[in-house]
Amino acid sequence: MNDDFYIGWETSAAPRIGKFVRAVVLILFVASISLALAFAMVQRSIGVSVFEWGMVKNFSGVLKLEPYPHLLVPRPGATGTQNNFSTYYLVAPFKFGLDRKKLSTLDGKLVSLQGTLIYRGNQTMVEALPDSIKAADAESPMLTGEETIQLGRQTLTGEIVDSKCFFGVMNPGQLLPHRACAIRCISGGIPPVLLVRQTNGTAICLLLVSPAGQPVNQQVLDLVAEPVQITGEVERQDELLILRADPKTILRIK
Amino acid sequence: MSVQYQAVQWNRQKRIYDFVLVGVVTLYLLAFGAATKVLFPFVTEEILLLRAFGTAAFLLLHVILCIGPLCRLNPKFLPLLYNRRHAGVTCFLLALVHAVLVVATYHAGGDINPILSIFVSSPLTHSVAGVPFQPFGFFALVILFLLAATSHDFWLANLTAPAWKALHMTVYFAYALLVLHVTFGTLAGETSWFYVAAMAVGLLTVLGLHLASAQKELSIDSELQNRAADEFVDACAVADIPENRARIVCISGERVAIFKYERKISAVSNVCQHQNGPLGEGKIVAGCITCPWHGYQYVPKTGASPPPFVEKVPTFNVRVKNGRVWIDPKPNPAGSRAEPGLIET
Repeated sequence: MNDDFYIGWETSAAPRIGKFVRAVVLILFVASISLALAFAMVQRSIGVSVFEWGMVKNFSGVLKLEPYPHLLVPRPGATGTQNNFSTYYLVAPFKFGLDRKKLSTLDGKLVSLQGTLIYRGNQTMVEALPDSIKAADAESPMLTGEETIQLGRQTLTGEIVDSKCFFGVMNPGQLLPHRACAIRCISGGIPPVLLVRQTNGTAICLLLVSPAGQPVNQQVLDLVAEPVQITGEVERQDELLILRADPKTILRIK
Repeated sequence: MSVQYQAVQWNRQKRIYDFVLVGVVTLYLLAFGAATKVLFPFVTEEILLLRAFGTAAFLLLHVILCIGPLCRLNPKFLPLLYNRRHAGVTCFLLALVHAVLVVATYHAGGDINPILSIFVSSPLTHSVAGVPFQPFGFFALVILFLLAATSHDFWLANLTAPAWKALHMTVYFAYALLVLHVTFGTLAGETSWFYVAAMAVGLLTVLGLHLASAQKELSIDSELQNRAADEFVDACAVADIPENRARIVCISGERVAIFKYERKISAVSNVCQHQNGPLGEGKIVAGCITCPWHGYQYVPKTGASPPPFVEKVPTFNVRVKNGRVWIDPKPNPAGSRAEPGLIET
C-alpha cells in the first residue's frame, strides 16, 4: 500500500507527492498564461479613442455655451462655406461640465484656453482648465458656417453615454460596467450623447437636449448605459449632431 | 506550531508555496496586460489594470475554493492546502487593487462621495442594467478583508477554532456575491461567449467538487449515525484500520478517529484544534497523530500535543475484544489520558 503522507513543516515532500504537485504546479502555470491570453483576446468593448493625458495644449476659438459649452475653431483656409469651424466639446476636469454661468459673459466671443485633447473618430473634446479660459484680444471671426440644418423627426435606438468618457477619457467608456461612472459624469454636467450603432458597425453620436434646446442631464440619469429608443428632431450645427427630444418619451428597450 | 507568536512561521515548503503563488499570479497579470495592450493599444491603463487584477482575484478564488474538496477526494493535493491562507490574502490584495482602481476610475472626481457613489450610481430600473453589481463586489471585498485580516493563527487561537472556522466559511457567501458581481457587470459589458463559458465552467467546477467531497463525507457519517448509545459501541473491526492510520466513525453525531499503531488502538476527536482539520485522515508519525492539513501533532493516548506545544483534543475510552474496536461514546476532556486498547495476538 502506498502510505505517502505530506507534512508541510518537513523539508521536502515524499517523492510521489512531490512529483504529483510539480505536475499540478505546471498545469497552474500553463492555465494561468492561457486564461490570461484568452480573456485578453476576446475583449470586445475596447474601441479606438484617445485622451492626451498630461499633454496640456493651447486652444483658441469662439466659445458657444448652447446647448452645451463648445469651442468653434476656425479651420485654416476656410472659405466661408459650411464647416468652416472645427467643433470641440468643452468640459471641466474630472466628472464635471464647465460652469455656464461663470462663462456667460464670454458666450459668442473669441477666447483662448488651455486643455487636454480627447477624441474618438470625428468627435473632439477638450478638457479645459476652467481658470485658463479668457477673452482673446482679437476680434471674433464671423460665424458664417454655423447655421442649423434640420434633418427631420427621427426615431433612433442606442445607448446614452457620457461624452467625455466615451470620446476617450476611458476606454471602454460605455456599457453597463461603466454605467455608474457615466451617471456621475452626466450628473456633473458632462454632455449626454446618444450612441447609435449603424448596421455597418460605425457609430454616430447625437447630443441630447430638450425640445427647447436645454440640457437634460438630470432627466436621463436613470436611462444611461441601457438600450433606449428616442424619438425627436435631429439637427446639425456644424459638426454637432443634436437630438431634441422630451426625456419623458425615452423608451427603455427590454 | 503554537508556542509563541510569530508573524509567519516560515519553512522551506511555505517559501516554495509562496514563490509558486506569486509566480502564477505575476505571470497572469503580465500576460493579460501585455496581450490587451498589444491587441487593443487604445485601452486606458486604469481599465486594463482593473480588469487584470479583477479577473486574477476571481480566478484565484476559484482555485482556493477547489483546494479543500480536492484534498478530501485525493490527499495528494494536500500540499496545495498547507499554505492556502497566503493564497487567500493574495486574493484579497488583488481584489483590493481592483476595487481601489474601480473607485478611483468610476466613482471618484464626481459630485458625490466615491463610496456613496458605489451604492447610488446604479439606480434600480426594473431591468438587467438596474441590478447593482458594484455593491455585490463591495460586500464581497469586505468579507475577503475580514478573512485576510483574521487569517493568522493569532486570531484562530483567540476566536477559537469553531468561531474562526464559521467566520471563514463566509468565503462561500463572498463567492456567491462575486458570481453576481461578474454576471451583472463584466458579462453585461463583454459579450463574448468565452466569458460566459468560463464563468459556467468555474461555477460548475466549484459546485461539482464540493458535492463530490460532500458525498464522500456523508458516507462516513451515515455509517454509524444510528449507533449512539450510553455504553461502549462496536465501532469497527481492528483489521479495518491500516497500521499507523485511522478509521473515522460517527458516534453520537461526533466524528471519532480510531488509530492503530504499535499493536494498540487509541481514539480521539476527529477535529484538529488548529483549524478543525480531519485528524482521522492523518497518520501516526514519530509516535504522534499528525494532522494532514498543517502537521499539528497529538499523542494518541492523551490527545495532547507534545511539549512545548499546547493543543489538546478530546480522547475516547477504547476496548478491543474479539478483533472488534469498542468505543465509549462519551468523550474525555481534551488532553485526558485514555488507556489504549491492546490488540490481541
